[in-house]
Amino acid sequence: MVPIQIENLSYTYPSREIPTLHGINAEVSPSDFVLLTGPTGCGKTTLLRAMNGLIPHASSGTLTGSVRINDENVAFQPLAVTCQQVALLFQNPDDQLFCTLVEDEIAFGLENLCFPPEKIKERITLALEQVGLTGFEDRRIAELSGGEKQRVALASICAMQPKVLLLDEPTSHLDPRATWDILNIVKQLNTEIGITVVLTTHRVKEVAPLCNLVWLMNDGEFCLNLPKTEAFQDTSIFRNLGVEVPDTDSPPSSVHPKPSINTTPHHPLLSVKDISFCYPNSDENAVKTISCEVSRGEIIAIMGANGSGKTTLLHLIGGLLQPSSGQIIIDGKTSKRKKLHQLAGKVGIVFQNPDLLLQAETVKSEVEFGPKNLKLKPDILQTVVVDTLAQFRLTNFAEEAPYSLSRGQRQRVAVAATFSLHPDIFLLDEPTTGQDAQHLQLMMDELCDQIRQENKTLIFATHNTELTLKYADRVFVLSEGELIFDGTPYAAFSNKELLENASLAF
Amino acid sequence: MAIRSTKLESRTKILIMMVCGCLVILLDSPTALLTCFLASLVLIAISKPTLRQIRLLFIFLIFTTWGLIYSQGMFYNAFPRTVLITLVPVEFPFIGEWTGGIRIYREGLFHGIIQSLRFNTTLVIGCYIVWSTQPRDLLLALGQLRVPGALAFMVTTALHFIPVIAGEAVAVIRSQRLRGFRYLQFNLFATVRGVINSFRPILAGNIRHATNLGESVESRGFSPDTATQRTSLRTSQMDKWDYCLIALLSFCLICIIGLKVLYFCYANGIYYGSWLRGVYTFTREVL
Repeated sequence: MVPIQIENLSYTYPSREIPTLHGINAEVSPSDFVLLTGPTGCGKTTLLRAMNGLIPHASSGTLTGSVRINDENVAFQPLAVTCQQVALLFQNPDDQLFCTLVEDEIAFGLENLCFPPEKIKERITLALEQVGLTGFEDRRIAELSGGEKQRVALASICAMQPKVLLLDEPTSHLDPRATWDILNIVKQLNTEIGITVVLTTHRVKEVAPLCNLVWLMNDGEFCLNLPKTEAFQDTSIFRNLGVEVPDTDSPPSSVHPKPSINTTPHHPLLSVKDISFCYPNSDENAVKTISCEVSRGEIIAIMGANGSGKTTLLHLIGGLLQPSSGQIIIDGKTSKRKKLHQLAGKVGIVFQNPDLLLQAETVKSEVEFGPKNLKLKPDILQTVVVDTLAQFRLTNFAEEAPYSLSRGQRQRVAVAATFSLHPDIFLLDEPTTGQDAQHLQLMMDELCDQIRQENKTLIFATHNTELTLKYADRVFVLSEGELIFDGTPYAAFSNKELLENASLAF
Repeated sequence: MAIRSTKLESRTKILIMMVCGCLVILLDSPTALLTCFLASLVLIAISKPTLRQIRLLFIFLIFTTWGLIYSQGMFYNAFPRTVLITLVPVEFPFIGEWTGGIRIYREGLFHGIIQSLRFNTTLVIGCYIVWSTQPRDLLLALGQLRVPGALAFMVTTALHFIPVIAGEAVAVIRSQRLRGFRYLQFNLFATVRGVINSFRPILAGNIRHATNLGESVESRGFSPDTATQRTSLRTSQMDKWDYCLIALLSFCLICIIGLKVLYFCYANGIYYGSWLRGVYTFTREVL
């Protein structure tokens, strides 16, 4: 029996004319591990939703063709039946966890299926064992790390003992160590229990060694459906679509050192002096007595595991948080008593979720928002807006609504909107999340070009070693809120002990 | 007792909220409303809120009390009314002539105190439920109270997302300020537009989170139609304290309704009993 059979599947979302999926045909055998990749917006998530029955059961729109799981058409059987055969793990653990305690979360699905309490207990123990979280039953989910949360989410669907596991970019929010943990667990479920796996990702290099079948999508269609051994023989199709290719780019260890940079600048643009920060309701400091200096023109990566304090440090530099102790000096002046609007033009930040910045009706007014607040003269304002749109290749989208654009384009709009103020220090939080290689490279190339041209400073937080190696002059490595390394990327990635300590080794 | 009180069953909490909601509408006397408000404070105190929650609640209470008393004091339009302070005399050019003078009325302040006690009591009990109840317990309790599954899930999800929404709202506001926007500025039109614009990313985020969570729970077999038929790992039983509290509150509510009905009949000439004079006095003075 074939676990998954997809026949001529097409789907069009309501209010759209162009189908998001078009003529998909595929078969998956028991115990297959499928790597599903493609550019952002190509239809990967939609295909997974159609495979577990969310389309059409929880979505309107037009569906033609069929998805059969063990010969049953998922469109014709209730979701409560399908979910016992096909489980779907979502991208962001925070969006899918409903309960407060680990045990309750794992029990949730089984309770919906009316399992008796003693059977639920049994399944919880087994599921926690499968994801390596034995003993976590009574832990509060809010207190877990990002990787642990994703493992709880995985346990909550494993408890239902599905035959097919669908994973939608399950590691995009995770650091390398947590990524490795999750992928390892998925591989074990695949090989030891025989669960069929379909995993979507942009991080092809990490998943390719585990899979045996590769699906490549573009514009809602399959461009490639081949066993792994054949799929990567000619990588041009991947490259043309801007999708990452395994083992073709230089691995971190073979990267040559960049020209030396001055890590102890004489006239720093930014001085961070012994800052610590503790979140309300927390006993431990998220950032612990960090000191560093950054000069004009530098591009700096902040790396570290989930929860190591990267985002907190960016928010402290950006003035969004005030340090509990220590001080931050920007261009010779302390930022302590400054109001946020007084830092406009000095510091700009783009969050991990760029959508939080998008508040205007059009891309043009989004880019205009900052300079307008600084009361620029109309002719100068016009020049700034036109130039910024051109610099970030957004001129054609000027009159579009930001929310109508793709995720990659929205991030570029957020970057352009922040850059239009020409801040001395540009802060960028985890730019890789949900981005394909092509969009990421385009955005980073444009931003770094502008930063270098204008002699500004860019500080970005990331888990991505390749991004750091390609763009950063200097790297700060954080571990449990402490700055444990400040030096060149080459020196950082040559130090295996450091990478282990910072959970950056994959 | 204190330990027991922090673990009231979720159904009891919901019923307390419903009874208190009725009481604050029925009661008119500041003394009775103050008693209700103080009782709600006792309830939240024994649920052991964190210092941050206490601070947040205090800020809410201060602002709502001040806002209600001040606005009622100024805009009170019933009679009789006694002027306490004249803010803008009627002779004052333009504003005075246009508004007929702006004054603070004693009866308005009194009315504001009553309204703020009503509002604050429900606010405190709402916070008590949100801060002391886990989402799954609330979902279970609403199901046991025969609330339709879809409605129960919506209520639970809304509460589940309060901290997320608050966090994102702070991020949106801070990012706007970091882009030079001032929420407090002379150009009121720009301020209002900025505030409206800040709702866009917050709303979009809410929709995205709610959609993802909805799909996640549906993928795990949850259906609003069958929400009341779910089994439960944890059994939730009301014990004698829950029953006692519900019985006491229900008794109070029934008595107050009865007394109010009798007083209404007397005040409107529908029924008068001389043997009930004590009841009428009590209702007028105390309730």
